[in-house]
Amino acid sequence: MKKAFVAALLIVTAIPLLIGVVALPPHGDPDTPVHTHISARYLEEGREEAGADNIVTGVLLNYRGLDTAGEVTVIFTALMAGLAVLISHKKQPEGDATYDAAEAAAEDAPVRAPVSPVVSFVVRLLAPFIALFAVYVIVNGHVTPGGGFQGGAILGALFIALTIVLGRERTRTLMPRLAQPWMQGAALLTFVGVGIVGGALTGHFLGYPAQASLHLARELMMLVLEAGIGLGGAAVFATLFLQMEAE
Amino acid sequence: MLEALWNNVDYIASVVLFCIGLYIIIAKNNLIKKFLGLNIMETAVFSFIIALGVIDGGDAPIMGAGAQAPFSSPVPQALVLTGIVVAVSTTALALSLIIRIYRQCGTIEADELREME
Repeated sequence: MKKAFVAALLIVTAIPLLIGVVALPPHGDPDTPVHTHISARYLEEGREEAGADNIVTGVLLNYRGLDTAGEVTVIFTALMAGLAVLISHKKQPEGDATYDAAEAAAEDAPVRAPVSPVVSFVVRLLAPFIALFAVYVIVNGHVTPGGGFQGGAILGALFIALTIVLGRERTRTLMPRLAQPWMQGAALLTFVGVGIVGGALTGHFLGYPAQASLHLARELMMLVLEAGIGLGGAAVFATLFLQMEAE
Repeated sequence: MLEALWNNVDYIASVVLFCIGLYIIIAKNNLIKKFLGLNIMETAVFSFIIALGVIDGGDAPIMGAGAQAPFSSPVPQALVLTGIVVAVSTTALALSLIIRIYRQCGTIEADELREME
């Protein structure tokens, strides 16, 4: 009964989708609306106007900068919500006298699964190169494929690998307690900061100066944004992982 | 009809992927598997949007020395980058909620959770 219902539902979903897809213009056709409207202008003017060789970065940080600021807010909100869900459990249960600080500390003590020496060696060997690659991807986001989000993901993955191999006590020093909130909010803060600088220069929030002579200023603003996004993204991944691993 | 299907085989792959994800969400009982299904559906949508922006023989939309027209459309790629990040955020939140559910109820099977009420 249930299987028949699922099959029917899938068919009912798939048929209209297939009909719609077949009615689309052929794949790869240069005359479709996707290519003839706004993209054409971005490709033609984007390099001078947005100040980035990589048009995707130009669209992301310049033309649709506010969009990206909203997206960064989504990541930050997800982090806050995730932490709220995970941490609230740790409160001391009321009336439970046996639950004291020492026990809580013992509960927090890391339970580490044994790591194979091969994995440990490879991660230690590759860590500096991965970090270098992440910085390269972040800093070159406006010239080559890449950018803050991608580099941030690489940095976050590196942090997770190091935490698994070295243990949380050692990787935690990478995120000092005092700097932690600033790192988690780095992406949002840089967007606000660069937005205000852009506002002072042009009169619009996140505006980029349009004069051709200010090409360097546009590039610098993008670089700061990319760095903020990269650092913030990595910190968000790392925090969520540490919090989930603390179970 | 068949020719139209073959021309748009990239889009059809997305539809198939979408249906696989939908099937997992409906049919599987484990909450983590359900969210994997949701991620597959998201991937289907992303690949569909990216495929829309592809141009025959097109290059990556990166200017500079040696850049050769035609270029793929940069707008879908930027949109999907946004989408991927939002998908990661929702997945992280969902996994946190699942951890919490497991702690409170001791199970993450949907039918067992329903019986508990």
